[in-house]
Amino acid sequence: MTDLVLKNIGKTYPNGYQAIPSIDLVIEEGEFIVLVGPSGCGKSTLLRMVAGLETITQGDLLIKGNRVNDKEPADRDIAMVFQNYALYPHMTVRANMEYGLKNRGVPKEERQAKVTDVANMLGLDELLDRRPGQLSGGQRQRVAMGRAMVRDPKVFLFDEPLSNLDAKLRVQMRVEIRQLQRKLATTTLYVTHDQVEAMTLADRLVVLNKGKAEQIGTPMELYDKPATTFVAEFIGSPSMNLFDAMMTEEGIVLSDKTRLPMSHAHRGSVIWGIRPEHLQQSDEANADFSLQVQAVESLGAETLIHGLLEDGSGQPKPMVIRLAGPHLPEIGSYMWLIAPAKHWHLFDAVTQQRL
Amino acid sequence: MSVYFPQKKLPYLLVLPQLIITAIFFLWPAGQAVLQAFYREDAFGLSQQFVGLENFVDLFSDPLYYKSMLVTMVFSFSVAFLGIGVALWLAVMADRVIRGKMVYQTLLVWPYAVAPALAGVLWWILFDPNIGPIALFLDRIGLHWNHFLNGDQAMILVVISATWKQISYNFLFFLAGLQAIPRSLIEAAAIDGASSFRRFWDIVFPLLSPTTFFLLVVNLVYAFFDTFGVIDTTTQGGPDGSTNTLVYKVFKDGFIGLDSGGSAAQSIVLMAIVGLMTVIQFRFIERKVQY
Ligand SMILES: Nc1ncnc2c1ncn2[C@@H]1O[C@H](COP(=O)(O)OP(=O)(O)OP(=O)(O)O)[C@@H](O)[C@H]1O
Ligand SMILES: [Mg+2]
Repeated sequence: MTDLVLKNIGKTYPNGYQAIPSIDLVIEEGEFIVLVGPSGCGKSTLLRMVAGLETITQGDLLIKGNRVNDKEPADRDIAMVFQNYALYPHMTVRANMEYGLKNRGVPKEERQAKVTDVANMLGLDELLDRRPGQLSGGQRQRVAMGRAMVRDPKVFLFDEPLSNLDAKLRVQMRVEIRQLQRKLATTTLYVTHDQVEAMTLADRLVVLNKGKAEQIGTPMELYDKPATTFVAEFIGSPSMNLFDAMMTEEGIVLSDKTRLPMSHAHRGSVIWGIRPEHLQQSDEANADFSLQVQAVESLGAETLIHGLLEDGSGQPKPMVIRLAGPHLPEIGSYMWLIAPAKHWHLFDAVTQQRL
Repeated sequence: MSVYFPQKKLPYLLVLPQLIITAIFFLWPAGQAVLQAFYREDAFGLSQQFVGLENFVDLFSDPLYYKSMLVTMVFSFSVAFLGIGVALWLAVMADRVIRGKMVYQTLLVWPYAVAPALAGVLWWILFDPNIGPIALFLDRIGLHWNHFLNGDQAMILVVISATWKQISYNFLFFLAGLQAIPRSLIEAAAIDGASSFRRFWDIVFPLLSPTTFFLLVVNLVYAFFDTFGVIDTTTQGGPDGSTNTLVYKVFKDGFIGLDSGGSAAQSIVLMAIVGLMTVIQFRFIERKVQY
């Protein structure tokens, strides 16, 4: 059953700024949807419209089939976890978690049972009588999640809930959020600008750019077949290598030196892309092109090699290669590389759309 | 950080003017008052006689002094609660205003720039039983107003006059306090199903409590000690001592009643109260009011 439907949703702020022109999205029950995009692309705006904290200036928002555009946040049966957690500083953890139930007139015993349940699940039992000021960042984050969970809402909304945590805790909480969401099977809308977080959490991803959904799909769909150069660069780390090229009878021409044979109906300017992890080292005879090594980053399990490759713009452009295991090519030396054709990505140079 | 002065005397020289001013205008008169409290002067100020604690004994056996204490309490707490209540209400409203915010806020701050005595005169004119527009209006709706005869009405008048100016001051603090509350807290409460009434009482008001407590003390101190001008221009402590606060009584007994010993004894009691309030402010407020 569809749970949450965004129909032609748009937002123009009172000052006339159009943050979101129009977005369509159908979310199934229990799905984990991640909104991802660079800063200022309208992620929070969209989430806050779903929450009812921001008016919807265009289109319809349906929760379980009911139009909720004009409903108060409290009447939408959603729960939200804020980036700064927004815990009530003068209330204990218990009171924080109980507050939503109290306002809805849930009897005291039931409230306490629910709080105990959720506190158990999140390992908060010991902390129930503390105030938020007496908790660590990670514990606060947990309390914020607990506060959202006790209400047993139809939809969870998260706005960058992990961005205030250190790297290690972030990974740990990421796994935990995913497990909890699976267990509760509550439809979730999650905002982040971290593409790793997005890839690992999402059932489906929405990549936003300047208020527009560039692509909606599973993480692997977006990785394998990015619809635009924006998505291609945004998903995957390090980013996909993109080069200006010409499509001709004999194939893709990056420069006089670099020609990649291919038969394709398109003619003219294109953008050719390949992910760093898909480039392979080879010998001179089999190589597609050579690359002058500029810098080497050894990460132990893998090595990132930065080099320059001349493309259709006539300028040498940076290219990154990701190789498994340790490698130590000399700076300034040339490496021979193969770019397997099945890993190529082609985009129209004008529309930036996938060909 | 410490600053190095090549000359040893320079730092002392620099604070000297401050020390002299403190000595001349505070320590010396205060010392005089303390001395005077133990003497009795004849009505013409020609001779003085040491009387020990007699001035204090007289003071604390005088029913009028207790009446004045009660009047001061009623007056001070009324001023504080009225001033805080109205200012909080205005600040909450101003915080919601989107258009013309600056104009609204500036207008609300203006009264603070008006001298207290002038404020007194203003309200005195507005409430004058013969010509005051408010008094005439009250008369018309059947409420006979004459604060020269009616002690309760006199009290209401001085409370309003004294509060009026204080509202601007309180308003500024509350507005700053409100703006320091993260918006997401209010939003979280809205999602948690709290009505705007509940959001205010459950979230906003408790978070403003440090501000409120601070203002309570400041306003009490103001009403206690800083309202001489207001009372002098409106009721002069009357009728029948019904607005004769402790501070006004010091003036009245000393300068009009010419009882310098009794007046000085009262001053010392007042000084003790100031000291007590300062202690409360530092000890109690700074520690207890936090979350
Ligand atoms: N109240 C407002 N009035 C006008 N413009 C706004 C308002 N709030 C946000 N915007 C604009 O709308 C755009 C989207 O803002 P939004 O907060 O949704 O970005 P975001 O994707 O959440 O970014 P971030 O990752 O930095 O949180 C931004 O360009 C922002 O400047
Ligand atoms: Mg945001």
